[in-house]
Amino acid sequence: MAVETMNVFFALLTVVAMSLFLVCSGTLVWSRVSVHGQVALDRLRGSISNGGLMLAWSIALTATLGSLYYSEIANYTPCKLCWFQRIAMYPLVIILGVAALSNEHPIRRYVLPVVSIGGAISLYHYLLERFPSWASDGSCDPTAPCTTVWVWQFHFISIPFMALSGFAAIAILLWLMPSGSQGGEA
Amino acid sequence: MSTAAQHRMSKSKKARALEREAQRRRSQRFFAAGAAALVGLLVVAVVLTRPGESSDPSEQLAQTHPVSITGNSLPGLGELDEAVGMPIPEVTGEAFHGVPVSIERNGTPKMIVFLAHWCSHCRAEVPIIQSWIETEGMPEGIEIVSVSTSTDPGQANYPPSSWLESEGWAVPVIADDASSSVAAAFGVNSFPFFAFVDSDGTIHHRTSGELGIDHIERILSELR
Repeated sequence: MAVETMNVFFALLTVVAMSLFLVCSGTLVWSRVSVHGQVALDRLRGSISNGGLMLAWSIALTATLGSLYYSEIANYTPCKLCWFQRIAMYPLVIILGVAALSNEHPIRRYVLPVVSIGGAISLYHYLLERFPSWASDGSCDPTAPCTTVWVWQFHFISIPFMALSGFAAIAILLWLMPSGSQGGEA
Repeated sequence: MSTAAQHRMSKSKKARALEREAQRRRSQRFFAAGAAALVGLLVVAVVLTRPGESSDPSEQLAQTHPVSITGNSLPGLGELDEAVGMPIPEVTGEAFHGVPVSIERNGTPKMIVFLAHWCSHCRAEVPIIQSWIETEGMPEGIEIVSVSTSTDPGQANYPPSSWLESEGWAVPVIADDASSSVAAAFGVNSFPFFAFVDSDGTIHHRTSGELGIDHIERILSELR
């Protein structure tokens, strides 16, 4: 399949992940100011308690496969910041996968810090792409500069933004998950 | 064990079995919905990127062209520029459309700009220089030439001809060959890269990274 098609495919998945994040975080904020919001949040938590871990694992798996597609098939050389994001994302496939199988919700205590660090790096990388003058000497290293924009879809989606959406969606799913050892206990 | 206790255990086992069955069904529904959503998005992506009749003439253009270089190559740019005072290599090449463009030791001071299409700093620098040229005109007594180099179809912002055309780039462009021979001959090791050449055909100054117009004008005034 053409790289351009896969770019659009991953960009659409990014829109879905970012929408999930926005809906969940919007409901979280709404719940703080309205009783209806609290009801909506309870309902959302109810659905997340069933499949949230599985969904978070699917997002981590898709992000990992997407990153491997870009480096191994599309031959985009990962830069230093790309590697840092990979370090944060790849282990989540195993950790969230095991947690989803055994329905262990307390995993969020261990996963959320990793996801937050990964998301912060993605955000910085995305801003670096948008404002390349932030890079040290204002020049591009021919090997693998972090300011290179490999993918640009829908006028706002690049690879770090894809990663950021993945981290954000995983984070909000884990944040809203019941804190008990088993689903549905909260 | 009493009959009541056995009955409770049996009920508890049944409840666990029912819960496992419900969880298995939920997982199946989850994977089915996920797979359907992925297939749906893939179909949308295929439809959105369906190849149509190309109307972009730059897609037909060769982005690299053979070049002819005479003279010694310059060393790479380091902390101290050893190339200052050295004669530049002379280059004969072609623009994207095949128009001959050359860099010669012809008595005219020069500013040579090396650009890589994937380099975000080049993408930031090009509109700055273009805007300066549109406002001030080409600097008098100075020849400006650009070299599109380090071209790679697998990298971002390809093809360079489309990029430079979209920026309205008015500076003559030499499309470097696939081995980036012109860049190598000028000791280019990062982008954007500038080589300022005195009227005697020797290097006056080389630098890399984004340059402000004030900086460029100051060096050009030294060349005149």
